[in-house]
Amino acid sequence: MPVLSVAAATAVTAPGQQKSLAISLVIPLPAVSPSQTNDEVFALFDAAPGLSALPVAEDDRPIGLINRNIFMDSFARPFHREVYGRKSCIAFMDKQPLIVDGGMSVQDLSFRVVDAGGKTLNDGFVITANDRYLGMGTGQDLVRAIAGMQAEKNRIVMESIDYASVIQRSFLRPSREALRSLLPDHLLLWEPRDLVGGDYFYCRRFDDGFFLTLFDCTGHGVPGAFMTLIMASFIDSALREENRQDPAAVMTEVNRRVKSALGQIDHRHKGAASNDESEHRSDDGMDAAFCWVAPAERQLTYAGAHSPLILLRPGQEIELFEGDRAGVGYASTPMDQTWRNHSFPLPPGTAVFLATDGLIDQPGGPRRIAFGKKRLCALLAEHRQAATLAPLRGVILQALEDYQGKDVRRDDVGLIGFRL
Amino acid sequence: MEDLHIPASNETPEVRFEFSRHRLSMHGESYPENAMSFYGPIRSSLQNYLEKLPADGKVEVDIGLRYFNSSSTKLIRALIAMLDQTAEGGPSISVDWLHDADDDMMLEFGSDLKDEHRSLKFNTVVAEPA
Repeated sequence: MPVLSVAAATAVTAPGQQKSLAISLVIPLPAVSPSQTNDEVFALFDAAPGLSALPVAEDDRPIGLINRNIFMDSFARPFHREVYGRKSCIAFMDKQPLIVDGGMSVQDLSFRVVDAGGKTLNDGFVITANDRYLGMGTGQDLVRAIAGMQAEKNRIVMESIDYASVIQRSFLRPSREALRSLLPDHLLLWEPRDLVGGDYFYCRRFDDGFFLTLFDCTGHGVPGAFMTLIMASFIDSALREENRQDPAAVMTEVNRRVKSALGQIDHRHKGAASNDESEHRSDDGMDAAFCWVAPAERQLTYAGAHSPLILLRPGQEIELFEGDRAGVGYASTPMDQTWRNHSFPLPPGTAVFLATDGLIDQPGGPRRIAFGKKRLCALLAEHRQAATLAPLRGVILQALEDYQGKDVRRDDVGLIGFRL
Repeated sequence: MEDLHIPASNETPEVRFEFSRHRLSMHGESYPENAMSFYGPIRSSLQNYLEKLPADGKVEVDIGLRYFNSSSTKLIRALIAMLDQTAEGGPSISVDWLHDADDDMMLEFGSDLKDEHRSLKFNTVVAEPA
């Protein structure tokens, strides 16, 4: 006796058969023919309580579908059985069920089912091959197939991002190791919002000091991560023995390289570019803090592109320096843009922090406004007596989470701190 | 020309450009994955409107954003620059930049915009908490 079941549906899917086609959903339910009577249909329904609809085919061609509930209701009416019992089963048949070819994609099928309305989800649909009746498909199997495809796609995307994360992290390893060996007392917070991200850091050691940068590229996720690798390679090649002590000069050079590589022109000189044109042109760049640190002289030189430097010097209030406003790259930053160096002595005990805007701009709190620089500075100042900076990482993350509350994380979060 | 209304989504602000009444407003948050595809059409319809604005025209703009990401920042700046450029040519354009009383970041951004765009009647305004 035919019973619509998942087991049946799975059993007939031939190996290698495309999972994404309607034919994968086919249940080879024998169709009834118009020569069969309503009494016979009643007997079939009666014997198979799981059967919600019966297909009707004439010479192998589907002509309709008998819905169980409609049939049973009609048949139960007074005298209907006596009148219709021996007549053709097409009396109570739906003459316009959804009929699809087995080669239709499951996705197209799902749109057809939705268009056909609720009855198709309940009754199921007829699957054919070369217009010949093949079997039935159920709404439930269709939903299951769609959910499975969705999960599969999701898995593939996530695996791909997982691997991107491995690559992005491995590029960070030399900088991470440089930080570790140069700065026994440091703190590193690198939290991409989506496994990979647009925040990045770079550190290179020289004989007389080290060059440290923290930067935030446009975008997050995969596009952001692309940008970080591009930027890191530009920084790596722009930074040389001759300019290591001049972060502003390195920044200027990186800006030129980025703009040339991404084919950026200055919108202001271009007038109103058509949307189509500007849509395909890169307006990508980064906010960045570049630092040269000379431990022997206890001196730091900082150049900032819309990215702050925070200093906690012993016996002084916490200080935040904004740097220059222009970003590196970006269509609106001119090719010949320059940045300024600022030098600071670092008396023993001074803590230096660099931070991207992910932390500062995160909305939250009772009024759902930005975390803010003031809050960050207060938090850092509060822990100025800490023996080492590393534990501050957890403190900052906790403060961010508490503040963020139920709000979603908006951006990647990056913060580096050290004491010489 | 036709008014532009884009309802707010999680990642994009509500945009209500009532060109017929010369009132333009933008409220909410802005962190779409592709900011250009969101702001591109907004920019072109604003451009169309501003081009036809007579020299004695008067426009009121209010912008109240709680959060925007860095790529949105560029495009919001570009919109303000377009308004400023138009105002240079005669029309009176006032911009109210709404921010929460405690949101020093948003106030700071508004103050920067005010400094950079001198042809606009630019005001930073403390918004009533929603």
